[in-house]
Amino acid sequence: MTAIILDGIVLGLQFGLLAAGLTLVYGLGGVLNLAYGQIAVISAMAVLFAMDAGVPTLASVGIGLAAGGLLGLIFDQTILRPIYRRQGEARVLLSLLLTLGVAFVVDGFLNWRYPTAGLSLRISGDPIEILGVPMRRGSIVGSAIILVVFALLFVFFRGTSLGRAVRSVIEDEEGARLVGIDPSLMLRIILIFSGVIAAIVAMTQSMIRPVTVTAGFSITVFALIVTVVGGLGSVTGALLAGIILGVINSLATSYIGTFLSLIILLTAAAITILIRPSGLLGVRE
Amino acid sequence: MTEKFAEATGTSLVGGAESHPSRSMLAFAGQVLAVGALLGLVPLWLGDSRVLMTVSILGLAFASYVIGFNLIFGSTGQLFLCVGALAGIGGYGAAIFADTMGFPIVVSILLATLASSLTGGLLSWIAVRRSLGVIFTGIVTLIFALAFENLVLGLGSLTGGENGFLIESGGDSFLRSRVPAFYLMLALVLVFLVVHGLLRRSHVGWAFRALRDDEVAAELAGVNVARYRVYAALAGAAMLGMTGAAYALTQGRVSPTTYGFAEVDVVVIVMLAFGGIGSLFGPILGAVTFTAINEFLVDFGHLRLVPYGALVIALFLWIPRGVIPTVGGWVGRWRSRSR
Repeated sequence: MTAIILDGIVLGLQFGLLAAGLTLVYGLGGVLNLAYGQIAVISAMAVLFAMDAGVPTLASVGIGLAAGGLLGLIFDQTILRPIYRRQGEARVLLSLLLTLGVAFVVDGFLNWRYPTAGLSLRISGDPIEILGVPMRRGSIVGSAIILVVFALLFVFFRGTSLGRAVRSVIEDEEGARLVGIDPSLMLRIILIFSGVIAAIVAMTQSMIRPVTVTAGFSITVFALIVTVVGGLGSVTGALLAGIILGVINSLATSYIGTFLSLIILLTAAAITILIRPSGLLGVRE
Repeated sequence: MTEKFAEATGTSLVGGAESHPSRSMLAFAGQVLAVGALLGLVPLWLGDSRVLMTVSILGLAFASYVIGFNLIFGSTGQLFLCVGALAGIGGYGAAIFADTMGFPIVVSILLATLASSLTGGLLSWIAVRRSLGVIFTGIVTLIFALAFENLVLGLGSLTGGENGFLIESGGDSFLRSRVPAFYLMLALVLVFLVVHGLLRRSHVGWAFRALRDDEVAAELAGVNVARYRVYAALAGAAMLGMTGAAYALTQGRVSPTTYGFAEVDVVVIVMLAFGGIGSLFGPILGAVTFTAINEFLVDFGHLRLVPYGALVIALFLWIPRGVIPTVGGWVGRWRSRSR
């Protein structure tokens, strides 16, 4: 039982960070980035190619993170420009469709050029016991990294003036503008964050199981579901929803069976949305 | 100019198209007949090639899917991301009713259509009751679509799992020869066009336009927004289910990819957005165009997604309202200038 719940938490942390990257961009810019999973995949491929070229592992990971951040910046400067000119639901819809186009382009190219590529970062060493359960090192290192990233995010949002500026834009864009905060600069910063977060999730996930070129779409879908369950724009909600859904998934897998577990996960998500349309910790609009 | 107007009124993407249907009934009948006649000529041109006829039949199935989706999304603003799943209920339903339970084919199709229609109506009812917005309706229906895909994969004994199964019913009938199957699917497209066109002309159409333009104002003016949304979903989902069923029977097999999210929903959205969301004939133009593009690019394998995606981006950057409303706008301005 403990083992199952711990497994669920490991998975849930992945879900949570994945959703955090998506939810920030939505909360701040009203943009749903459907090419989010593709950013993660490209970062993973960057690490893979760097390692193949003989770059040491740690430096390769650095390259991957930089690739993620750079992609976020490129998104902000190119494809999202025309989207920013719209407001409200039209903005969400246009962002959805344009980034879907980007996802097609990336998926098509990667699947064609590197159909079998996959990144797995192996963390060697014996399993470590936690609460009497032997856990794989990859899971522990991955989870630790995610927890550190979450801690950094919280410190950033609560403790730094830049983070508070970002939060003020999420709450009231017009008000933030009046006190001299530039919303488009905040958005640029958050998109870079989002890209780096996608890259981090790709790396930590590859410590547990390989991240393949075809993974982009399912990464996006899971991020989307966790985001909505957690509440759009709420990082804490993303973490909470991720862990809850991860544990549900893990429990369902071991007690009921693999095929029904995803359906139970989806049902749980749907019920949460129906009971609380604004998500677990979302603000009702 | 038009774009500025569309932005100002907030109707740029959902239902900005076709503010009023063409006035005369005769003109509408003429347009439908013209579409039917044009598409009806296709077998004379491609009839010798079994492969190309199969592609054309799939194209017609997509045209029907897009009409159903257009009725739900374009007319009443409910983003149903479960087009493939609703069609799959029709397809798997018809196959299972006919093969496993031994119902006659026509009865099977009708039962499957009913099942699909009720599912769509239920989803819409839930969304309306919980007053979910466009995006949330999209997510809930997306979750439903993913659950359906998994159910199909998991219930292998009934659905054949990953490989699907071959349908025996109707194997020796006209359904399996290409040209009659083509005309059957074309008939569906035309019937759905007429249904959608007539709906728009009736009081239902007024209600649709009212609730699409301003939900609150419509409600205040006495339009029962919830009821009309559910009606649209019932009708649209019935179209999707019937098309899925008919397509399965003409192909003689069903498989998860026939109704997958990536294979159906994504394509349907792109087709509709190309033709023009909310426009009556947009679905036909979108389905024909993208079926042709897909066929031209078929040799490129996975690489074909690249120009496809690039086209999607270009499309939404430059003509976000879709081809038919945009061209319609040009023609309208040209006319008013030459007067």
